[in-house]
Amino acid sequence: MHEFNWGLLIVVYLFLGGLSAGLFFAAGLANYLTVDDKPVYAKVARMGALLAPWPVAIGSGLLILDLGNWYRFYKLFLHFRWQSPMSIGSYLLTIFTLIAFVYLFAWLKEDERKWIFSKIPATWKQVHRLNVDISSWREKIAMVGFPFSIGVGIYTGVLLGAVSARPFWNTNLVAQMFLFSALSSGSAALLLAMLLDRKNPIEKHETKFLVTLDVVFISLELFIILPYIIHGQLSSQAVKDALTLILGGPYTVVFWVFFLFLGLLVPLAIEVYELFPSIFKGHEFHGSRRMALTAAGLVLFGGFLLRYIFVYAGQVSSFHRMGMLR
Amino acid sequence: MAIKKKRYALVIDSRKCINCKACVVACKAENKVPVGNFRNRINEERKGEYPKLSINFEPEQCHHCADPSCVRVCPTGASWQRKDGIVLVNYDECIGCRYCMVACPYDARYFNEEEGVVDKCTFCSHRVDKGDIPACVETCPSKVRVFGDLEDPTARIHELLSTRRYRVKEPQTGNGPQLYYLL
Repeated sequence: MHEFNWGLLIVVYLFLGGLSAGLFFAAGLANYLTVDDKPVYAKVARMGALLAPWPVAIGSGLLILDLGNWYRFYKLFLHFRWQSPMSIGSYLLTIFTLIAFVYLFAWLKEDERKWIFSKIPATWKQVHRLNVDISSWREKIAMVGFPFSIGVGIYTGVLLGAVSARPFWNTNLVAQMFLFSALSSGSAALLLAMLLDRKNPIEKHETKFLVTLDVVFISLELFIILPYIIHGQLSSQAVKDALTLILGGPYTVVFWVFFLFLGLLVPLAIEVYELFPSIFKGHEFHGSRRMALTAAGLVLFGGFLLRYIFVYAGQVSSFHRMGMLR
Repeated sequence: MAIKKKRYALVIDSRKCINCKACVVACKAENKVPVGNFRNRINEERKGEYPKLSINFEPEQCHHCADPSCVRVCPTGASWQRKDGIVLVNYDECIGCRYCMVACPYDARYFNEEEGVVDKCTFCSHRVDKGDIPACVETCPSKVRVFGDLEDPTARIHELLSTRRYRVKEPQTGNGPQLYYLL
């Protein structure tokens, strides 16, 4: 039997890493959008900043646990190998996580910051020197963080796409696909979190912003996935053979029904249905809570499934004919 | 004149293979390969239906590629290649991420669960360094395997490759595999 070297932990990690990248990107973007010099999406930006570092931190933890010798993970940082996507990625991931935590800190309210520092012994003077207000740096941190968030989003795809031995992965489209999926999952997660936050109910213009963002990202993702299949069909025999995994093979149903239909087209349809009257007919955006919840949940579900399908199906694909048959 | 440069390779005359698996056993014994893992294997390819049947046995192991993708993707440099072409794993540096296993087009590597590191065929480098030949080559009763240095014009392997037709597996991966299968 062909064994899977990478399993569910890697799937979860790829999903969480992308999720953080998307959250940071959406939150950073919201930070920049102003009307008459007043930030209109400050709540979105704050929620995103508060959420962004956690998924990637948890994901990195899982990644370390997945190693054969988890305590040796530090060796990743004793070497830099530019030819290895994993080496580049581990540096990117670390820098991004740090920036995301600094960004979170910049968005803490005065009393929250004081509360955190009140839990730290007063004798730790060096730590207490960090108790400063950096809220004026928000835009700068967001700007520095953008390329790293894009980098993390893309890297999760490059990690797979750079493997020339697996024809299912070995196309430059996988990186873009994972990036757009990451950005769309991020805005969906942000929407979901804001909808579930009963204390500060989401406002209509915020829902509209996040839904619009998600429509853009889902559309981009869709127009990477279709070329991926077309391109694969027009490619060499090994790639065509690899694509049979989702075109009639064991991953067909999960790809077409659960990922493409339920995880991509249905949320896209819901979001377009919500946006359409407000854009083309001049009606007010009604922002149904239930619709938005469903769409956001489905996008996250789809984002996870995309990683699942790629990690598993990719490992089955091979140039080695015996590998496919075993 | 002394030969300075070396490039080890393996020629396999798979038509002579009788699937006795002596090579697999010899390798396991020589290298203390854990139960359930193998560094080499014999692929079986069946064709046709009774009574028109044929079966082809094809031994395979690490191809010790000229441009190995496993070495390229390793984030810590644990997978490395000697100057004589032998691809090895430095067990102290391996963190067990298994990226190399995913990147190997020949599925030649295995994960040593006990040690938490990836392992593979070493061309019996400990024997080769003493001037011996790998255990699988030594033990093969039907003389399927010929091990040698491609840079040595007097070697048997050199003669075989210049006089016989051969193929390598999946050259399109760009890895430059160094297991030569005689036709």
